[in-house]
Amino acid sequence: MSSVFYLLRKSLKNLIKGAAKKPLVLIGYIFILVFIVFIIVASFMPSGMVRNGNPQLFKSIMILVFTVLYYTSLKLGIDKGSTFFRMSDVNLLFTAPIKPNHVLLYGFIKQIGGTFFMMFLAMCQIPNLRNNFKMEAHGVGVILLAVVAYTLAYPLLGMVIYSWSSKEKSRKKLLKRIFDIGAVVVALLFLLSVVQTRDFVSAMDRVFNHPVARYFPVIGWTGSIAAAAVGPLTTEFYVGAIGMLLLILGSAITLYRANLDFYEDVLEGVEFVEAAYKAKREGRNMTFNLKVKENVKQGLKGEGARAIFSKNLLELRKTSLFLFLDRMSLITIIASLVFRFVMPDEIGEMGLFVVLCFSVYLLMLFQIQGRLVNEMEKPYIFLIPASPFQKLFYVTLSEHLKNLADGCVLFISAGILFKGDVATVLACIFSYTSFGAVFVYNDVLNRRLFGWVHSKNMLVFIKIIASLLLLVPGIVAGVFVYAMTELQLLLILTMGGWSFILALTFFMFSAGILNNLESAG
Amino acid sequence: MLKVKNLSKKYEKVLAVNKASFEVNAGEIGVLLGPNGAGKSTTIKSIAGLLRFEGKIEIAGKENKSIEAKKAFGYIPETPALYESLTVWEHLEFVARAYGLKDWEDQANALLTRFDMDDKKKKVGKELSKGMQQKVSICCGLITDPKMIMFDEPMIGLDPKAIKELKEIFVELKNRGCAVLISTHIIDSIDEVWDKVLIMNKGEIVYNRTRDEMTASGESLEKIFFSVTEPEKEEESA
Repeated sequence: MSSVFYLLRKSLKNLIKGAAKKPLVLIGYIFILVFIVFIIVASFMPSGMVRNGNPQLFKSIMILVFTVLYYTSLKLGIDKGSTFFRMSDVNLLFTAPIKPNHVLLYGFIKQIGGTFFMMFLAMCQIPNLRNNFKMEAHGVGVILLAVVAYTLAYPLLGMVIYSWSSKEKSRKKLLKRIFDIGAVVVALLFLLSVVQTRDFVSAMDRVFNHPVARYFPVIGWTGSIAAAAVGPLTTEFYVGAIGMLLLILGSAITLYRANLDFYEDVLEGVEFVEAAYKAKREGRNMTFNLKVKENVKQGLKGEGARAIFSKNLLELRKTSLFLFLDRMSLITIIASLVFRFVMPDEIGEMGLFVVLCFSVYLLMLFQIQGRLVNEMEKPYIFLIPASPFQKLFYVTLSEHLKNLADGCVLFISAGILFKGDVATVLACIFSYTSFGAVFVYNDVLNRRLFGWVHSKNMLVFIKIIASLLLLVPGIVAGVFVYAMTELQLLLILTMGGWSFILALTFFMFSAGILNNLESAG
Repeated sequence: MLKVKNLSKKYEKVLAVNKASFEVNAGEIGVLLGPNGAGKSTTIKSIAGLLRFEGKIEIAGKENKSIEAKKAFGYIPETPALYESLTVWEHLEFVARAYGLKDWEDQANALLTRFDMDDKKKKVGKELSKGMQQKVSICCGLITDPKMIMFDEPMIGLDPKAIKELKEIFVELKNRGCAVLISTHIIDSIDEVWDKVLIMNKGEIVYNRTRDEMTASGESLEKIFFSVTEPEKEEESA
């Protein structure tokens, strides 16, 4: 075990030393630290706010938070139990004379370290909660107890689940199915409650503050410990605390006695993690669990730059669920429609505009790294004998078609559901596609202008800010037109029109990125 | 020293290795050859204890996944991967601790000097080029003074001087009584050093001879390689 602790100790020490050597990184960390301290201090300052938060809402929030935390962490554990291992671990640690149990323990210690910052941020919310809810004297103590219980339980539980499921693929499938069915049931119950009550708070109370939820093993237990912050220490608290204690002890003993042989299962995941790290370093998206259909019968057509378009269409067909619709399309469509559903009825005729705004917001997040980035990793785009304009047009054409197809499905559905007229539906589709084009070419132009920025996160930040700033004139013009005419159609058309002009301008200025590899930054 | 008996490995429906059996004895350099998809990597990973498999693999007389076998085993993977925030020296110290080595520092210094890495001791993993990472990986594999060592495509990324040193190291290991197994695609790169050749094709060991046995047949390794991996083409050309 000493070698494993040596590894952890040295890695942490060198990480800190490395940060100290790079002034910019250090300034970044100091800035974050100052920000956190500021939040804590500000939260403790008397705010004069009336602490009238409903204790039942607090309980619901706690159980919801732990439901999400346990679901994401444990699901990831089944899927990619190796997320805490790297290829260096495979090469040097797995082949060393160290017990697999110790190797697994090392992985989970790393995992806890990785989530420490997130935990710290979560704890910073305690003062905020104190300002909004009337807490008991033991309030902060029980919240911290719940956080500690979660921090100890999820890696241990993850290890137990993983060591059991990694032995057979069918077990993994079964567990994933159970998790997914559970998530769908909770989501459906919640949606049903939202539709019935038309009120988020009431819906949350009905689902997450139900006795079944409060006593539900692990999630309910942890949530009930935290929920005691706004009330007396009830049976729920004691059941939760004792349940978690037994769970943590039981998991620890089970693991220590287990005969683990998990290296094989880890290998695939490690390769995935390495690819994800590489993608992160290069500032592009990692497509998670992207399934490629093998039986797509679609040939390649066209010559020169058109061949890229044809290839992109083929790739889309192979990876989409149906025609152009993929997972992101479904998320955008469903989330945008649900968003309109939960908005108050007062928005009245502006329903389609609300759907447009929300869907464009999601589109911006999903398209922050366009297809061109993946294309520029390979030499073909630079080598194809065609002009940069032709190449840029054809390489991005499939994205515009996809946005058009998504827009058609979304706004025709929204038009039917929220009784929109045909002209407004068409205007929304046009605007949605135009906004998509702005995001696509803004990505390219930013890479051309700011390709020298080495921090990929900074580049993403620049892109978001640039997108928002450049869209402002269109929004202002749209609002002005609406103020004059009170017509939703003209508001949408003005914004869409501005985006269209913006996209064209971006296109003209960004094509040079395909001249050579260096122009790509 | 290395005994592989009836090794089979199936990935879902694909049989990657089918009842492969071979041995590499103490003081012998074995070379594992084969075209892409022959099952070499699966065999290597099985020997390294990274995969579950059917059959039996023994290193120094112990089951390959046992702690005793791992202590006697050295592995230099195809793709070097170092800890990003550990220095070169700390990598060696970690390996020394993991294998319970005593007085390893002189040996570590000698290895680093040999691979021109003595001025890179304080460099962390992420600061090294791929070739340098490969050199550190080799040093980590050698410092434990293993009884059996396995190299997976060891020459890739190395500069000419390091390749020359590595070839000398193969011979030194052999002379020390270590069993060496080298997996490679580049037949020429190991032509002077091998004692036993193992050729895999479609998951099976299709050729297993010592250098003396092969020399007696009067054929070159390259010719034999193509005759056992592409017998149809060989017949056509004949």
